[in-house]
Amino acid sequence: MTNESIWVYIQLNQDKIEPTSLQLLTKAKQIAEDKPVWAILLEPTTLTAEATIQQYGPDNILRLRDDRFAAATDEELADALEQVVTQYNPNSFLFPATTAGRSLAPRLQAKLQTGLTADCLDLAFDGDTLVQVKPTYGDNIMCDIICPDRRPQMATVRPNIFKAVRVPNSQTEVVSATFTFHPETTMTILNTTRLISQTASLSDAQTVIALGRGANQPKTIELARQLAAKMGGVVGVTRPLTDDPQFTHDQQIGQSGQTVAPDLLINLGISGAVQYTVGIQNANRIVSVNTDATAPIFADSDYGYVGDATEFLEGLLAQVK
Amino acid sequence: MKIVVCIKQVPSTNDVKIDPQTHNLVRSADGVINPFDKNAIEAALKLRDQTNGEVILLSMGPESYRESLLEGLAMGADSAYLLSSRALGGADTLATGYPLSQAIQKIGDVELVLFGRQSVDADTGQVGPIVAEYLNVPQVTFAEAIDLTEDHHLIGKRRLDAAEQEVEVELPAAVTVRSEMNQPRYATPRQIQKSFEKPLTVWTEQDLDLDPERIGLAGSPTQVTQVYAPAAAKKRVTMLTGTPEHAVQELLQSL
Repeated sequence: MTNESIWVYIQLNQDKIEPTSLQLLTKAKQIAEDKPVWAILLEPTTLTAEATIQQYGPDNILRLRDDRFAAATDEELADALEQVVTQYNPNSFLFPATTAGRSLAPRLQAKLQTGLTADCLDLAFDGDTLVQVKPTYGDNIMCDIICPDRRPQMATVRPNIFKAVRVPNSQTEVVSATFTFHPETTMTILNTTRLISQTASLSDAQTVIALGRGANQPKTIELARQLAAKMGGVVGVTRPLTDDPQFTHDQQIGQSGQTVAPDLLINLGISGAVQYTVGIQNANRIVSVNTDATAPIFADSDYGYVGDATEFLEGLLAQVK
Repeated sequence: MKIVVCIKQVPSTNDVKIDPQTHNLVRSADGVINPFDKNAIEAALKLRDQTNGEVILLSMGPESYRESLLEGLAMGADSAYLLSSRALGGADTLATGYPLSQAIQKIGDVELVLFGRQSVDADTGQVGPIVAEYLNVPQVTFAEAIDLTEDHHLIGKRRLDAAEQEVEVELPAAVTVRSEMNQPRYATPRQIQKSFEKPLTVWTEQDLDLDPERIGLAGSPTQVTQVYAPAAAKKRVTMLTGTPEHAVQELLQSL
């Protein structure tokens, strides 16, 4: 049986749906033309994510239920997915390029002997062929990649590149899948501790104060934190600042870091290397302060100021209500 | 205990451009070990010192990849294998994972396979899980810490999207390593000298009895159809002027 459907993997982070999965449902519907969009949901019986997923309008929700999905290994998930892919033969299968997605998708890819493109920034159909836009060399180069002969065409897609749009679909059909859960006997998940995630707060924040190498002084960092607290925002940093032990990789914006989409982004002491700017393209309004008038960051900004980041911060702290 | 570390050689900088006339990639020729793979080598060396084991480096690529294998030997690895031949070239992640996994089987009795979390050039992070699948072993991806227990298990701490996870696996297993795990050591001049005496073996597809349909371009399901510079969606910037106080005032009025 061939089925020209587009599948989207619904990643569950404990009891929450990973936002990227919902963003992918919206994107899949936009590019689908007449192909049906399926949400693939592996959930324990204690959860009912279907109602939320339906808000984003898939044609079908293929549900695999087993309590062991509450804490399953990559192999167990990949094994269950392999069973349903072989039953339905989808055209393509999209995953969030999150830690979970980037661990699971290649394992499944090897089982299915098909192609997988990592960390895509865009997707489009050319007939039945999925054209996958993938950055390489630290986002300096873009590639169009296709998988012409094998199915499904698999891709992981970078978080926050697309916006999830609610378009409730009363026709969404929930299909219960037939599969067997095969436990992986050589691996045990001892515990999973939810983190008060900097990642989530950074990628969801409406205001982000971003610090670069030109704003790495203790005083500047302290002022940025005060301003973030005052504005209800969060502090993010460029790659070089993650060498400072007070910042973690989770606070990094850009390639190999987070993609942010705030209403207001204030860049301080950031020159604007492409590895950074690719992570801020969905920011609504961008303000940048740099001592170098020729810094490339200004070309990506709505407002620019050539001057000292610390003094600018002091000005903001004094004047922002 | 035998530990294999799969490494990739990457350009020393990601500052790659496209020649506007020829549309070819213009990149620096000198290669280095993918930085995350150095963390994997460091992790392997630490485990070796605990267990009296052996660290074997494995890579696939052109002859020039000897450079990064020598660099890894100078860090302290015991031996190295390079899979290199024209037939293996042009491989995507699937056609890379297959020869690597076959080589690991040929090396034999390997109990742990380590990888960096992803390469900094292609940035996929797919080869680790693919090799784990081909070897039919459990995988611990994005590990921040690993420890061996006395009963031949490995405890790994993974960093997930909104959680931290501790897992226990029975060896053999595959682990992909985050840079947070350790600080890779530098090679001492003595170690660099010694690296040239360590065994570095080159294998081709013939040494591994590989299925020709599953290697190189022919074995790669994906194709690159176009390579281009990212479109620069530049904004129209309004420059703020005067003292910082004045600039802030101007900004807040506009926002």
